[in-house]
Amino acid sequence: MAEAGVKTEIRSAVWKPGGLKSLLSFSILFLAWLVGFSSRLFAVIRFESIIHEFDPWFNYRATHYMVNNGFYNFLNWFDDRAWYPLGRIVGGTVYPGLMVTSGSIYWILDLLNIPIHIREVCVFLAPLFSGMTALAVYFFTTEIWSAGAGLFAACFIAIVPGYISRSVAGSYDNEGIAIFALMFTYFLWIKSVKTGSLFWAICTALSYFYMVSAWGGYVFIINLIPLHVFVLLIMGRYSRRIYVAYNAFFIVGLILSMQVPFVGFNPISTSEHMASAGVFALLNAYGALKYIQSFLTKAEFKYFFIIAALGAAGFIFVAVVGLTWAGYIHPWSGRFYSLWDTGYAKIHIPIIASVSEHQPTTWVSFFFDLHILVCAFPAGVWYCVKEVNDERVFVILYAIFASYFAGVMVRLMLTLTPIVCVLAAVAFSKTFEIYLKDDSLKANNKDSEEDEPENKNDNKLYDKVGKPKKDKKEEKPKNQEAIGMNIKSIVVIALLLMLMLFAVHCTWVTSSAYSSPSIVLASYNHDGSRTILDDFREAYYWLRQNTHDKARVMSWWDYGYQIAGMGNRTTLVDNNTWNNSHIALESDYFTPQGEFRVDSAGSSTLLNCLMYKLSYYRFGELQLDFRSPPGFDRTRGVEIGNKNFELTHLEEAYTTEHWLVRIYKVKDLENRNTIIKPTIPVKRTKLRSSPSKKSAKKRPGVIKNKPKIIKGKKPTKTTSKK
Amino acid sequence: MEAIYSVPFTILECPRLKLKKPSWVRQPSAMTIFAFVLLSYFLVTGGIIYDVIVEPPSIGSTTDEKGNSRPVAFMPYRVNGQYIMEGLASSFLFTLGGLGFVILDQTNKPLMPRLNRILLMSVGFVAIVLSFFMCRVFMRMKLPGYLMA
Repeated sequence: MAEAGVKTEIRSAVWKPGGLKSLLSFSILFLAWLVGFSSRLFAVIRFESIIHEFDPWFNYRATHYMVNNGFYNFLNWFDDRAWYPLGRIVGGTVYPGLMVTSGSIYWILDLLNIPIHIREVCVFLAPLFSGMTALAVYFFTTEIWSAGAGLFAACFIAIVPGYISRSVAGSYDNEGIAIFALMFTYFLWIKSVKTGSLFWAICTALSYFYMVSAWGGYVFIINLIPLHVFVLLIMGRYSRRIYVAYNAFFIVGLILSMQVPFVGFNPISTSEHMASAGVFALLNAYGALKYIQSFLTKAEFKYFFIIAALGAAGFIFVAVVGLTWAGYIHPWSGRFYSLWDTGYAKIHIPIIASVSEHQPTTWVSFFFDLHILVCAFPAGVWYCVKEVNDERVFVILYAIFASYFAGVMVRLMLTLTPIVCVLAAVAFSKTFEIYLKDDSLKANNKDSEEDEPENKNDNKLYDKVGKPKKDKKEEKPKNQEAIGMNIKSIVVIALLLMLMLFAVHCTWVTSSAYSSPSIVLASYNHDGSRTILDDFREAYYWLRQNTHDKARVMSWWDYGYQIAGMGNRTTLVDNNTWNNSHIALESDYFTPQGEFRVDSAGSSTLLNCLMYKLSYYRFGELQLDFRSPPGFDRTRGVEIGNKNFELTHLEEAYTTEHWLVRIYKVKDLENRNTIIKPTIPVKRTKLRSSPSKKSAKKRPGVIKNKPKIIKGKKPTKTTSKK
Repeated sequence: MEAIYSVPFTILECPRLKLKKPSWVRQPSAMTIFAFVLLSYFLVTGGIIYDVIVEPPSIGSTTDEKGNSRPVAFMPYRVNGQYIMEGLASSFLFTLGGLGFVILDQTNKPLMPRLNRILLMSVGFVAIVLSFFMCRVFMRMKLPGYLMA
C-alpha cells in the first residue's frame, strides 16, 4: 500500500509541470558539471596526475605544509627556501583561501576514512570548482533573467575555453576557486538588491570574505558593487533596498576583508578601496537628505540641499587629498594603474609587462576563448538595456568594464568570461523562445494550449520580464502575419548547429592549447607518434639527490617554485614578483640585451653572453640527426652560431636526456688570478662577478634601467641550471 | 529653521541669477547607451588597445621566392600578435553577429506585415551565419591547424 502510494506520489510529482521542470533543471546542471569536470581531465589522462606550470607548485608546497603542520603554523611559516638570502614570510604574502579550501576537503575526506594524497585533492580542485561555478552562474542568470537562460549559462561556463584555460586539472591556482567566489558573490548581491534583506547582504559579505581570501581580484568586486550603487543613484533609482544592502555589505565586508593577513589594512588605506568608502558616504548622505526632505518644505529643502551638497563635497575632497598627502592613503599601485594608463607598465614595471599573460589582447584571443558567445554577447546587452531594471544595470556595468579590462590584459579574459556566458545565454534563450513557439497554431486554437503545459508554465513561473502581458497583446494581430513554423525551424536548426560547433571548438581548444602541464613536454613526430620529454623532472630529481642541502640554485625566475617544490633546494629568485629588482638583477647576468636570436646572425653580444654559453655548452659536438648539422636547435629550427667556447668559472655537472636542462657547478675562486689572454675579454668580468648560474632557454626579457652589479659574492658551492 | 539659513544673507546680497539646467543635459536614452557600448565593444574586440601599445603595421608584407613583396593580411601562427586591419575586420564580424541576433528579435514585433517579417528574419539569419563562418575562415588563416587533429 505504502509503496503504491509513494509511486503515485512520484508519478504525480513528475507529471506536474513544476516537477518536470525541476527534474530537467537538475539533470541539465548535473550534466553540465559532469561535462565540465571531464573535459578538464585531458592532461591527467595524457600524462599523469601532476601539478602544472609554475605558481601552482608553490601553492601545492604551501598546502602540503599546511596539511602537515596545521593552519597556525602555516600562517607563521617563514620559508627560507625562497628568495635567498631574504627568505619569505609565507603567511603574510599569500592568499590562503586556496590552501584552506583544499586542506578542508582533504580533512573531510580523511574524516570519512577515505585515504587520499593531498596532491590529488590539489590536482582535481579546479575541475571540481568549475561545476560549482556553473551552479553559481545558473543562479545569477536566473536572478537577472530566467531559469532557461540560467541553464544555458551554466552549460556555457562549463565548457568555455576562457575559463578552462585557468581551471584544467593540475592548474592549482587562485583563479580556479576565485571565479566561483566572484560569481557567487555577485549572485548574492543581486539577490540582496532585489529583496533588500539584511540576510542576503550579510551572505554577500561572507562570500566576499571568501573571495578576498582567495584572489587579489577581489578589488574588482569592491569597485564594481559601489559603482552599481552610484549609477543607480544617478539614474534616480535610489530605494531603501539598496540602502540596506549596500551598507550592510560594505561594513561587514570591510571588517571581514581586513582579517586576511595579506590584505591587512589595505581596505582602509589604499586608493583602490576608496571608491567603496566614498559611495558609502554618498549613500548615507543621500539617505539623510531624503529623511530631512520629509519634514521641510520644498523651498527650504532647496537651500538646504545646495549648502549641504557643497559642504559635503568640499569636505570629502579636502579629507581625501589631505590623507593622501599625509601618507595615510596610498596612491594606486602600479599594477592597478597600468589598467588605466596602458603604457604605464611598459615604462615603469617592465618585469610585469614582459609576462605573456599581461600582454594586451588581440582579436584571436577573444574568438579563441569565447567563440560564438562573442557574437551573442552584444545581443544580450541589448536585451538588458531594452528592459532595464536595478539588477540589469549591474550586468551592463559588469559587461562594459570587464570587456575593457580584457582588452588591456589577456589574463583578465577570465573575469570577462562569466558575464559573456550570462549575456550570451540571455540572447540565445530569448531567440529560442521566439523561434520555438508556434504563433500561428496558438492563435488558431487556443484550447490546444493545454497540450503545452510546460510552455505555459514557463511564462508564468520564470519569466519575470513581463512576457505574459506581451503575449496577450500579440495574439490579436498575429493571425495572418505570423511566420510559419517551417521557416522558423530553419533558424532554430542553424543555431543548434552553431552551438554544436561551439562544443567542438571548446573541446579542441582545451585539448590542444590548454592541457599541457609545461613541466612534462610532449612533441609530435612526423608519423604522429608522441615523444614525452621529461627532462625537467629528471633534473629536479638529480638536484635533490646529488646536491648538498645548503646548495643554492640560480635559475631563470620561472623555475624557482618548481625547484623548491620538487628539487627541495633554495633558489635565488622565484616567481613571486614583489621584489622586481632581484629578478632584474639576475636576468641582467644572463642576457645583456633583450633580443634573442641564436643562429649565426645573432649579435655577438648574445652569442657570447652567459646564458647562451650555458645553454649551448658542448652542444656543438652533438649531432641529433643525420639530416641536420651538428649543434642543431630543434626548438628554434636553427643551427647555433657560436660552437667553440670554454667556461672559465663553471663546470658542467649534469645534462638531461634531451638537453633541455643543464646544471652547472660554480668552481671556487682561484687563489691567484692567472693572467691568461682572454678570448672574449668582456665576458670574463661578467663570469667572475657571478657566483652561480642557471638559465632558461626560451625566455626573452627586456630590462630597462639595468641595476649595477655588485661584485664579490661569496663563492659557495653552487649548482646552476639552464 | 528660517533663521539658520538666512544667517549668511544678512551680509550677502543675493545676486539676481537664474540658473537653469541646460536642455542638452538629460539622461541619455537606453539605445544611445547601447550604441555607445556596441561601438566600444567593436573597438576592444578588434584589439585597439593592443594596436595602441604595440603599434603593429596595418597590413604586413612578405617577400616571395621571386623577390616581390606581397601583402599579408593575417599574421599567421601568432595568437598574441595581429595587424590592425585583421583585428578590425574580425571585430566587425563579431558585431555583425551580435546585430544579427538583435534583428532576429525584431521580427517578433506585433503589427508587422508578413513579408517584412520574413525579410528581417532572413537578414538576421544571414548576418549570424555569415559572421560565424567568416570567423572560422579567419581562424583557419590565422592558425592553419585550427580544428585539426
